[in-house]
Amino acid sequence: MDILYLLIPLSTVLVLGIIGVFGWALHGGQFDDLEQHGAQILQADAGSVDPCQGP
Amino acid sequence: MAASAQAIDRIAAAPAMALLDDAAELARFTRWLPARDGQRTGESSLRIGGMHCAACAGLIEAALRRVDGVVDARVSAAAQSATVQWDATRTRPSALVRAIEQAGYSALPDTAAGARALRLKESRAAVWRLFVAAFCAMQVMMLATPSYISGPGELAPDLKQLLDWGSWLLALPVLLFAAAPFFTGAWRSLRVGRIGMDVPVALGIGVAFLASSGAAFAPGGLFGTEVYFDSLTMFVSFLLGGRYLEMRARHRAAVALEDSVGRLPETAWRECADGSVEAVSVLRLQRGDTVRVAAGQAFAADGVLLRGATRVDESLLSGESVPVDKGVGAALAAGSMNLDAPVVMRVERVGADTRFEAIVALMREARTQRPAMLRSADRWAAPFLWSVLLLAAGAAAVWSVIDPSRAVWVAVSVLIVTCPCALSLAVPSALLSAAAAMARRGVLLRRLEAIDGLARMDTLFIDKTGTLTQKESGGVQMIRVDDGAHWSEATLRGRAASLAAWSTHPVARALAADRAGDATAWRDVRELPGQGLEARDPDGTRWQLGRCAAATLDERGLSSIAVDAWLSRDGQPLAGFRFAESLRADAAAAVAALQRDGVRVALLSGDTPARVERIGRLLGLTDCRGGLAPDAKLAAVRAAQARGERVAMIGDGINDAPVLAQADTSLAMGEGAQIARAQADGVLVSNALHDVVRARALARRSLRVMRQNLVWAAAYNAACVPLALLGWLPPWAAGLGMATSSLVVVLNSLRLAR
Repeated sequence: MDILYLLIPLSTVLVLGIIGVFGWALHGGQFDDLEQHGAQILQADAGSVDPCQGP
Repeated sequence: MAASAQAIDRIAAAPAMALLDDAAELARFTRWLPARDGQRTGESSLRIGGMHCAACAGLIEAALRRVDGVVDARVSAAAQSATVQWDATRTRPSALVRAIEQAGYSALPDTAAGARALRLKESRAAVWRLFVAAFCAMQVMMLATPSYISGPGELAPDLKQLLDWGSWLLALPVLLFAAAPFFTGAWRSLRVGRIGMDVPVALGIGVAFLASSGAAFAPGGLFGTEVYFDSLTMFVSFLLGGRYLEMRARHRAAVALEDSVGRLPETAWRECADGSVEAVSVLRLQRGDTVRVAAGQAFAADGVLLRGATRVDESLLSGESVPVDKGVGAALAAGSMNLDAPVVMRVERVGADTRFEAIVALMREARTQRPAMLRSADRWAAPFLWSVLLLAAGAAAVWSVIDPSRAVWVAVSVLIVTCPCALSLAVPSALLSAAAAMARRGVLLRRLEAIDGLARMDTLFIDKTGTLTQKESGGVQMIRVDDGAHWSEATLRGRAASLAAWSTHPVARALAADRAGDATAWRDVRELPGQGLEARDPDGTRWQLGRCAAATLDERGLSSIAVDAWLSRDGQPLAGFRFAESLRADAAAAVAALQRDGVRVALLSGDTPARVERIGRLLGLTDCRGGLAPDAKLAAVRAAQARGERVAMIGDGINDAPVLAQADTSLAMGEGAQIARAQADGVLVSNALHDVVRARALARRSLRVMRQNLVWAAAYNAACVPLALLGWLPPWAAGLGMATSSLVVVLNSLRLAR
């Protein structure tokens, strides 16, 4: 069970990393409007969701 | 010298702030109050960011009142907004904003765009804090599980040490970042020497963390070996979750209000003198401008229709969802929608003067006023919080004798579990959601006390003319002013009716509906703005229906006759038409419903007693008093109040204003005189009396909800504090209990808003 002495610190650091990733996504505006993007595919005239992909 | 350089620095650093004082910008969130003794007083609405509970409202109010030149400041915690009255000669809005910022909050002018950005920022920050707290809490719990499930001696001491250190590391962001609002809130209220709801919470979190850290890094020392990082992180996330849901509910209410504001259009198409059309900002419109409004657009200002005919959706103003026909000369309200055809209007009132703006201002006022019921709740908060602190200290002292290892945890539980939030939210949340529900149903309240008054009234005085009855329907009275030789009465009435059928003006419609018109083949029918109809008969003679030139009336000595429309031939008036008043469509049903409900309904009118008697008989009322001067009406209301009755009054005219002010609860008709609306506690926007019945039902429900809230909050505290004192409530359960009890109160109140 010695591996626990490595895994516990590792998981703690991993948690902090995940929190960082979520913070980046949140402040990039990905969670600002959760309903709007779901409804977007129903609008015929709406452009591509991701402008980089293009039609 | 240094001071002035500093001031310049401040202004240079915030050019947007200086822009606040620009007159055009100012007009977007400020209205000017009628001047009293020559001084110009502005009333500005500001949105406040960073408010967490009702106690913050008092701090901001105090900060604003310290600014030189502020006449009055009111802050609504539920609506997160401030209404400030300030003297234009002594201060500027930018000074107000700076004062709020120095108190530790953020402020923006209350226009939709800035508020939206503020809401987005606030919601992101809340989600971010909630995520950090909840995610860390989950991980800490995982690390805490081994010590819960392992038997004695199964967990190696060094492994336990490692798990505790991991928990400590993960609890750190929760304490330093996620729980920061509790600490700043507590610090803010302590700094001004008051006790706020955040104080016990911050104290509980702080003590729990320090004690657990001691146990983690010096096991077996002063704080024993037990760590409670799992409880700590969990109750921080419960509290933040509760606040997040509260914030969502508040944002929804704010969006609903702004949606109604946002329906004012931004640009308008103004007709120039040479007939060309230019696009101008709505802010630049002036009285007398001629504006084109395309179909599907909203009217930019209150005004009169000049050319064209259309149907208009006024549901925003009146709650009436059926479109209203508008012909030339009809009044148009800003914010209502033009549905059918392009029309041209003349601007009568703009900006803060419009009926729509007036209604929005009324709503804002109601939202920032603190009713007496609320103020008493504020008074109780401080002693309550002090007794919580004393109880916690006492519990720690007693337990340190019984079982020193548990003393800290019992004190922490007591601090966390008591929920003054539920008590302080019980009344205002119910009042606000009831007021919002009434606003949607066409009753705008200026004072929230009116909810209490509506629910408890036992006598309702109703004015007759304009309130129970209305013009422009029913029998048409004709007053002949010709020599009587050329035309028979039937001919004149038929002629008027056939001409009136060309128009959709309300007066013409009533006239046309009165009897079938004759078969005159009218030519060249034109509807002149504000004047009426003009047409030629087959012989080529010009006939007019509507206004008559004032000079002609003076010449014939007719200007003293009050009529709704003149029928004239070649410019000479032949007959005037006056519309008998009729009961409003829903009056009888509304009065009957109120009487069934146990309200004594009585008529108070300045009209002749005979006519009042007739209307009273139609409604089945026994107490009908006619021929009353305003002071006699006032005396009647005072007499009823002296008998101990709770009196409500509905009126509309200028003569009703003093009575409306005297009555315990008063409502004015939306189309009534401005002064009546200004004196009343609420306004019936759609002029439908049935709204009173519905508002009363809602008011009684909201009193019930308020009682439920108070009973729940009191029962919760009474049950949980003893449990915590006895040590039966671990800190995490205390956090859960506190968050749930606030949520139950808010959700119970939101039932009213449906």
